[in-house]
Amino acid sequence: MPVSFLDTLGEAVTRRLAARSSRRGVLGRVGAAIAVAPAFPLLPVRRADAAPATPAPTLTDFERRAQSTDPTKCNYWRHCAIDGVLCGCCGGGIHTCPPGTEPSPVSWIGTCRNPDDGRSYVIAYRDCCGRNICAAPKSCGCNTADREMPIYRPQASNDIIWCFGTASTAYHCSTAAIIGQAG
Amino acid sequence: MLADRRSRVARRISRSLAVASVLTAIAAHGPAHAAEPILQTEESDIVTLPPGGPHRVLVEDGVYRHSKDGRVYVVDLDTGRLLGMVQAAYNANMVADPAGKAFYVAETTWERGNRGKRHDILAAYDPRTLEQVADIDLPGRALITPKKPDMAIGADGHYVYVYDSSPTNAVHVYDTGLKSVVRTVDVPGCGLIFPWGNAGFSSICGDGSLANVQMDAKGAPTLTRTPPFFVPDRDPVFEHSPEVAASGHVWFISYSGLIYETTLGAQSSVAKPWSIQEAAGLKAASDTRAPFEVTWRPGGWQLAALRARDSHLFVLMHKGTFWTHKDAGSELWELDLKTHRLVRRIPLAARSMMVGVTQDAQSRIMLTDEAGDLMVLDGADGKPVRKIGALGDALIFTAAPGE
Repeated sequence: MPVSFLDTLGEAVTRRLAARSSRRGVLGRVGAAIAVAPAFPLLPVRRADAAPATPAPTLTDFERRAQSTDPTKCNYWRHCAIDGVLCGCCGGGIHTCPPGTEPSPVSWIGTCRNPDDGRSYVIAYRDCCGRNICAAPKSCGCNTADREMPIYRPQASNDIIWCFGTASTAYHCSTAAIIGQAG
Repeated sequence: MLADRRSRVARRISRSLAVASVLTAIAAHGPAHAAEPILQTEESDIVTLPPGGPHRVLVEDGVYRHSKDGRVYVVDLDTGRLLGMVQAAYNANMVADPAGKAFYVAETTWERGNRGKRHDILAAYDPRTLEQVADIDLPGRALITPKKPDMAIGADGHYVYVYDSSPTNAVHVYDTGLKSVVRTVDVPGCGLIFPWGNAGFSSICGDGSLANVQMDAKGAPTLTRTPPFFVPDRDPVFEHSPEVAASGHVWFISYSGLIYETTLGAQSSVAKPWSIQEAAGLKAASDTRAPFEVTWRPGGWQLAALRARDSHLFVLMHKGTFWTHKDAGSELWELDLKTHRLVRRIPLAARSMMVGVTQDAQSRIMLTDEAGDLMVLDGADGKPVRKIGALGDALIFTAAPGE
């Protein structure tokens, strides 16, 4: 059976390698490479690690602390610009008025970021009107202010009692209904 | 026989006890009786307060948990005593006459508690008897979580101004002599009232300009506009920017911490703004173009107070991103408005949403906390003087004599 060209080449290379290198020499070179490698950070992940420890924030204070599980807390993500008592603490819900009260047909508008999907949504903060203010625990009384403006920009002010056009202008509590995706 | 003897013994014992108790009573009470007069009968009467000094202040409590039950307290900062109060129902506002002759409360009630006919009311009070000296219906008033400049008074106390927003932006002008509303001035697209002189006021407009209203001798208004001096979408100015009404000077403070010194009038003029943070040796804070920068920023409700005699401004400051303009202050910064320099930073024991200051030489600083306490500091060095514990529920602003 004739010996193939590839077999002949493989044998020649292997014999030459064996003739020119010792096992100790190979071990020494590999060891040196391992020892010296950390001095040459080549991969991008190493360079990122060497960057400043705290990258510039891209969220507001509210957005950093926002959660998406408990809508009866001030740090629930839709409450990024709410001023008042949460209707969810008063017999209503996130977009629902307690019995016997009436939602305001107009409202102020906020833009809040949902931490679950990273998207921003337009929120209508409609008041529920017609009862005296809901005396819920203090933890249900919120006053957050992302993108909130003074009363000379009323459409973005959460200090105005928005019970316009309701049977009574008495303020009871506040809701936060999603009315669209922002941007 | 035995029974008879027993009863005789019992009678003797009881006689002895009776004599002993009489002697004891005489011994215990006899001599004192002679020395102490019988307590006198009393008539019910009412306090009339003596004339007040510079440390008798008005403090508005919004009573947010029961806002229909708001009130204005009269407080003596020297003794820490509550001297009296008046009602200030449902998002009320109050102003004091510059000469201390009266104070005024604008409030809202419904005939059947939370329903029925709505009444917007202006009541005037005698500051010593706290009795009403006027009590009239207003054409309306804006229902807003109370901002101090929703109501104002002219330099000579003749006109009181009440802001309204429904159906249009307007200011009702109340004549304190006639005890009636004499005029309603429309300020389309604008809000709040910053008075100047005896018969003028300015409002801030949605485009960052000012609407200036001057009334003539007959009360007829003329409205002029000052070009925009700030960009609301970029860096709006606080509603609670402090003013000296007598001179028409306002120091408009922006969310980022710029101060626009403004001289109000028919042609209001605005000086080049300067930065609170730069005055304190820091970098000027970012506006909405870089909203995520965490730095020292002004914030709170009545977030700033002015001591006119030495032009010192006290501003509540906290660390945060832009859009934290309602965060309570963890420090109070005292600034010299003439030199644009920081005088001192006063760390606060409790975060405060409100700061007020009296105008006298021994001035007092007023702060509050979440519990509704009123903290009194020495205006000279910011050191605590006293705490008036649980004065109210939600202390939102103050009025000190002569401010």
